[in-house]
Amino acid sequence: MSDDFLRKPFSLAPAPAADEATTSNYTSGASKFSSGPVSPYLNYDSRYLQRAQPEFIFPEGANKQRGRFELAFSQIGTSVMIGGGIGGLAGVYNGFKATNALNQTGKLRRTQLLNHIMKQGSGTANSLGTLAVLYSACGVLLQYARGEDDHVNTIIAGSATGLLYKSTAGLRRCALGGAVGLGISSLYCLYLLAQERGNSSSPKFL
Amino acid sequence: MEEYAREPCPYRIVDDCGGAFAMGCIGGGVFQAIKGFRNAPSGMSRRLIGSMTAIKTRSPVIAGNFAVWGGMFSTIDCTLVHFRKKEDPWNSIISGAATGGILAARNGVPAMAGSAIIGGVLLALIEGVGILFTRISADQFRNPPPPTEDPAALGDPSSNFTFGTPTSQKQYQ
Repeated sequence: MSDDFLRKPFSLAPAPAADEATTSNYTSGASKFSSGPVSPYLNYDSRYLQRAQPEFIFPEGANKQRGRFELAFSQIGTSVMIGGGIGGLAGVYNGFKATNALNQTGKLRRTQLLNHIMKQGSGTANSLGTLAVLYSACGVLLQYARGEDDHVNTIIAGSATGLLYKSTAGLRRCALGGAVGLGISSLYCLYLLAQERGNSSSPKFL
Repeated sequence: MEEYAREPCPYRIVDDCGGAFAMGCIGGGVFQAIKGFRNAPSGMSRRLIGSMTAIKTRSPVIAGNFAVWGGMFSTIDCTLVHFRKKEDPWNSIISGAATGGILAARNGVPAMAGSAIIGGVLLALIEGVGILFTRISADQFRNPPPPTEDPAALGDPSSNFTFGTPTSQKQYQ
């Protein structure tokens, strides 16, 4: 689709009289059409229909963009599931290693493998899920407190998550946890910024 | 109406899992804080330390159990929706019972049966309360009684039906 019609000036007036005079031999139908009454629904500048932004219909009272609270449960669930998967795989590996070392076979080996998978899977899922809960809670609180949702929130929430998660393990490890959270969230924000630079209309995920 | 407020089906699993984990983490944290506070040796600082330790050790486990329950429930629910091609309270009840049974699978058949019954009854109660509330709140959405059905109010049927006045038939504006 070319945008030629956007460059030409739009006029409601019928075609110029000179054109009509020269071409009246065979365009009598067209000239009759332009001089007659036109329905107001057809006589509408189509430039008004062209908008740069797509328009959506939102339910009454709903936000235009999903905030952090709407995304929090999905994030927590995703991290719990990823943690369970990683922990389960690690449990399979460790279980095979332990049962091979002890020469366990048959039913004993099967039960031991299941125990390893359950234990490691739930452990990793729980710690990753707790981290996600802390991050989401900090993010939601920050969003409500500051009234906006941007990269600063992400960085602050990430640092606060690290600080909180290691807050009972001593001052040094607490600071270390905060630094790790700050680093990860900053890297993530840099990645998002680079992506936004690449294509300006990229959707926002977090 | 509330079906539109939730995620569509395969993604609902992740959402429910996360919601259950958050619920278990926060609720279990509060519960374990009180429990650890009460069970700790006397002295305020010791009680606070006991409370903190209980939160740290127990609440992720409770949250994990909640998350497994929610995720399994949602998975079976979505599977039932896919195969039965409808969403009704029976889906929830069946998936509650199946979740209870599956999660007790390592404890033997009697434990499975007990957990399945508990899960089914629990979900049936929840669904029953939901239906009850819908019935109660449905009264305020009842339509007003229809207006009079006298056909004379519709006008003379012999005259032609037109939009606007019949004199402006050639004019659009």
